[in-house]
Parts: sequence; C-alpha cells; structure tokens
Amino acid sequence: MDNISFTVKEGEILGFLGPNGAGKTTTLNILSTLLRPTSGTATVNGHDIRTEPDAVRRSIGYVFQDTTLDIDLTGRENLDFHGRLYGLERNTRQQRIEEVLEIVQLTDRANNFVKTYSGGMKRRLEIARGLLHHPKVLFLDEPTLGLDPQTRRSIWEHIVHLNQEKGVTIILTTHYTEEADYLCKRILIIDFGKVVVMDTPDNLKARLEGDVVTLLFKDPAAIVTFRPLLENKEWIRRINIVASGNNYAAISRMMQDHQNPKHPVADNGAQFGGETCSKCLNLLVDNGGHRIPEIVKLADETGVVLESVELRKPTLDDVFLTVTGRNIREEEGSIVDMVRRHRIMQQARGHGGRG
Amino acid sequence: MKHEMAQPLSGQAIYVVLMRELKRYWRAKARVVSSVAQSFFFLVIFGLGLGGFVGGFEGVDYISYMAPGVIGMALLFGSVFSGVSVVFDRQFGFMKEMLVAPVSRTSIIIGKILGGATTATIQGIILMVVAGFLGAFTPSLAFLAGAVAGVGAMLLITSGFVGLGVAIGSTLNDFHAFQLLSTFVMWPLFMLSGAFFPIDVVPLPLQVAMLCDPMFYGVELLRWCLLGTGTQLLGPFGLLISIGVVAIFDILMIVIGTFQFSRAQI
Repeated sequence: MDNISFTVKEGEILGFLGPNGAGKTTTLNILSTLLRPTSGTATVNGHDIRTEPDAVRRSIGYVFQDTTLDIDLTGRENLDFHGRLYGLERNTRQQRIEEVLEIVQLTDRANNFVKTYSGGMKRRLEIARGLLHHPKVLFLDEPTLGLDPQTRRSIWEHIVHLNQEKGVTIILTTHYTEEADYLCKRILIIDFGKVVVMDTPDNLKARLEGDVVTLLFKDPAAIVTFRPLLENKEWIRRINIVASGNNYAAISRMMQDHQNPKHPVADNGAQFGGETCSKCLNLLVDNGGHRIPEIVKLADETGVVLESVELRKPTLDDVFLTVTGRNIREEEGSIVDMVRRHRIMQQARGHGGRG
Repeated sequence: MKHEMAQPLSGQAIYVVLMRELKRYWRAKARVVSSVAQSFFFLVIFGLGLGGFVGGFEGVDYISYMAPGVIGMALLFGSVFSGVSVVFDRQFGFMKEMLVAPVSRTSIIIGKILGGATTATIQGIILMVVAGFLGAFTPSLAFLAGAVAGVGAMLLITSGFVGLGVAIGSTLNDFHAFQLLSTFVMWPLFMLSGAFFPIDVVPLPLQVAMLCDPMFYGVELLRWCLLGTGTQLLGPFGLLISIGVVAIFDILMIVIGTFQFSRAQI
C-alpha cells in the first residue's frame, strides 16, 4: 500500500473498486488490526488502530472474502461462538442471534450444519455473524464473489437494507463495477496500492462527458484504415481499440504508448468499454446519437463494412479504464501487468514485514 | 506481536474454544471409533501374540503391562493431532474469525489446549474401560482410586502434547507435512515410550533415547496409577520424577505453542 488516505462518513457505504491484487484486502486487514501498517495510522470509530486494537475490533464486523465459518457446526452455533467471543451476555446473545438470523432470513435453517448450506446462505450467515455484536462499521471483502446473479442481487438487497434501516456504516471491496455502482455512495478506485480517484458514482461517470459509441467491424483489418479518419474529428474525444485480452496486443500497445506519447492511445485513458473484442472500436463522442449517421456515412464512403453500432452512456467500467488505463476485467490478460503487480507485491512484502 | 501477548485472558473465549473442540470431537464419531479399534487390536493381538511368548513384566501379565502403553499411544496421537488441527483452522479460514475478535491469542490457545487435552483424555478413559473388560486390570478399590488418579495423569500428559501439536501446526503451511510429522515425531515418541517393553531389557543407547522421550514418563505415570508398578531404573522417587518431567514438558510446550501461535500469520 502506498500512501492511502481517506475518510468514511458515518452511515455511508464506501466502496474500494479495483482489480485483484490492487491492495483492497490489505487495506481492510490494516483497518481491522490484523496487519500493522508500516507507517501511518488510522482511526476506526474514534479508536486508533495502532494503540487501541481491541476497541477497534469491538467496533467492527469483518466479513472475509473466503468463508470463515466452521462447517462442522450449525449456523446457530457459529453465531453463538461469535457472540461469546465478543463477550455478549447470554440474554443479549440469544436475542441478537434471533435478530440477525431474521435479517438474513436464515431462521429456519439455523439448526442445520453449515456444510449443508449453499454459497449464498454461507455468505448471508457470515454477514449475520458480522452484525451480531452491533458493530459501528461493517467490512465486506468482495461480498458477492463467486455467487450467481440472483444470489448477488439478494445479497445487495441485504446490504442496502442494513445500511438504510439499521444505519450500519459499510466499507466494501469489489472488482465488480456494477456492484460498486449499485451499492456505494462513494467509490474509491484503487490500483497498484494507490488511490486513483474518490468520488460518487454519478460524479465519476459525469467526468466522462458524452456517449460511448462502439463500432463492430466485419473485418478487423479495416480498423487500421478507418481509425485515422476518425482521429481528426473534433467531436470525438477519445478512440480506443477495445482490449482483446491478447498478451501480445497488450504488450505492443504498452510499447506504443511509451514510444509515441502524442499518439491518442498514449493519452492515459484512451480505452473504453467493458467486454473485450478484437473487432471493435470504442469512441467517446459528444452527442453520440447525432453523430452515428455521420460515422456510418464515413464508413460507406471508405468501403468499410460495419456489422453493428452501439450507443450507450459511460459506465463505471469506462471510468475505471479512463483513470487507470486498464480494463478491470482484463487483469489476467496482460503479462506486463502481471510483472508489474508481482514487483509491487514483492516491494510491499519487503517493506511490510510481519503484521 | 507484543501487543497481543499483553492482552488479558478472557474466560469466555477460553470456554468457547474449548466447547468447540468438544463438539467437533463428539461429532467425529468415525475418528473416535477408529482410534479405539486400533488400540483394541493392539491390546488383543499383541497381548495374545507377544503375551504368550514373554509371559509378563514387572510382575503383571503382558496385556496388563501393555494396557497403559496403548492408552498412552491414544493420548499421544489424539493430543498432538488435536493441536495440529490449527492448520485446518487456518486452511478453512476459521482462524480469521478467532483472530479478528477482541480477545488475546493466548486465550484462544489455552482454550485449544484444554479442549485437546480433554478430548484425548476422554479417548484414554474409553480405552481404560475397554482394557478393563479385556482383563488387563484387577477390579478393586485400589484400582478405582488409581483410575481416578490416572484420569488426572492423562490430562497432565496430553496438555503438553497439544502444545507441541500447536507449535508444529502453527509453522506448517499445508497438509503434506502430516506424513513426516507422523513418521518422524509421533511414532518415535510412541515406540520409545516403553509401551511394549521395559527400559531395562534394551541396550544402553536405546535406554538413553527412551529417557529423553517425555512420553516414557507419561507411560510410567499411567503404570503407577493403573497397575501400581514402576520401573526400578528411576529409583525410589520414580513417581515424582515422572510427574516432574511431564509437568516441565507441559509448561515448556504450552509456552512454545503459544509463542508460535502468536507469531503465525493468518
């Protein structure tokens, strides 16, 4: 982690958005006192993480990325274990267990062994457990990782409910842009251990003025001839070949960036689009709807065949690409990134030492 | 992690970790059955096989002589593996749940040691009954008193070995080392414990090795309690020496286990 600084307001949902290995979990581990920071400090609910780790631990609930339930115990026993560990009195404990089971709708399965639970149920039980001791702040590390869309949606509803009805402050990490968009009041985009930007989802998207127009070419080779024609249109703000996920392409693109800084691709943030596609070109266009006929006409005149044209508002994916220069879903795609991340991790370990 | 060690002990935390061990033990019936059966086979087959050949040692039948040793084996394996189970807790994530709670690691480890010692001792008691039915012990009031003392001895013996297991488990990172642990730690400790033969029938180098094995004193202690016999080699203070060695081993292992556990990364 490299000089991260932020504050979260009471009753807010703050999201860390970034690819795997960006340093999101490390940040949560430091805030929860599982790791000690090499320098700097933080206060959680008014308690210093370095000098008052116990008070911090009492103020937080932490739902880890990987399941941390004892699958040989029942749901209720897992909650009871937690309640005792946090020193809740018998009456309070039993009452709270019923309450949190109710919140995540697991009351009828509470006496079953956790090994019989589905992925979504385990997740809900962990969220319930994180809430048991009335934490002021709830940490959720990738709350919907590996869950199917329906379960993800239901977890989201639970999170929103907790925040709005129960007033729990929530800090979550995710690498799903739609999750950050849906849940978070403010988003902190984090990459290679650095905070790149922090703002509300709407403000982030508003930074990209205009619309995203995606052109799908019949022949990928046509991109090379067509692209220069677009580069001198003043109403096109940015152009990008949608990342193909191909290592060679990623490397050559990066080399190109370094050799030719004036080239549009080099403008750190010339990439758009969520899905990867080797036959696509993404344009950020003022007033996109009005410009489509002009683009199609230009294609006709030059004999380039377009298979389809898509128009949409910029999403957080586009924002992520713009501010980091990388596609959030592309993280395994590029050797360059892998090498870079590896190096950074090593540095972090070298400096970090033992927690 | 100095700030961890400085935290006060939490009775509630010790209790809950202990209870978890007991619940898990009670539910892993297959493990209990297989361990009891294994010891049963030792008692019957070795008892009959070797017994017919050697007759007995120290004035008792061979099966009687061997019974405390076989109980010792169950205690040893049960307690070390119970301690080593911190590896599983780490692998399956439950460790994080315990470490992020506002309790000291020392509380967690004391709960773990008490739990492991209790479950291994339950195992020992079951075997004591089984051996009794096989005719290893003479039913009498003296034996009953000895058996009660034996339960105390079992708790004393197992605590240290759970600590040893925790110390090893905290440094292991995967399950592959289990085989090594079993071959190079558990079996030598067991075979040198004098479970099957008295120390004075073996050559000197082996005697020295046996005297270095804490489990040797554990088995001695059990023989004192259950049979009223003990090796002459330790002299008139054999009982006190055995208790002393086991107690020192306990303290050492609990300290080392707690230290290793506190150092371990999540």
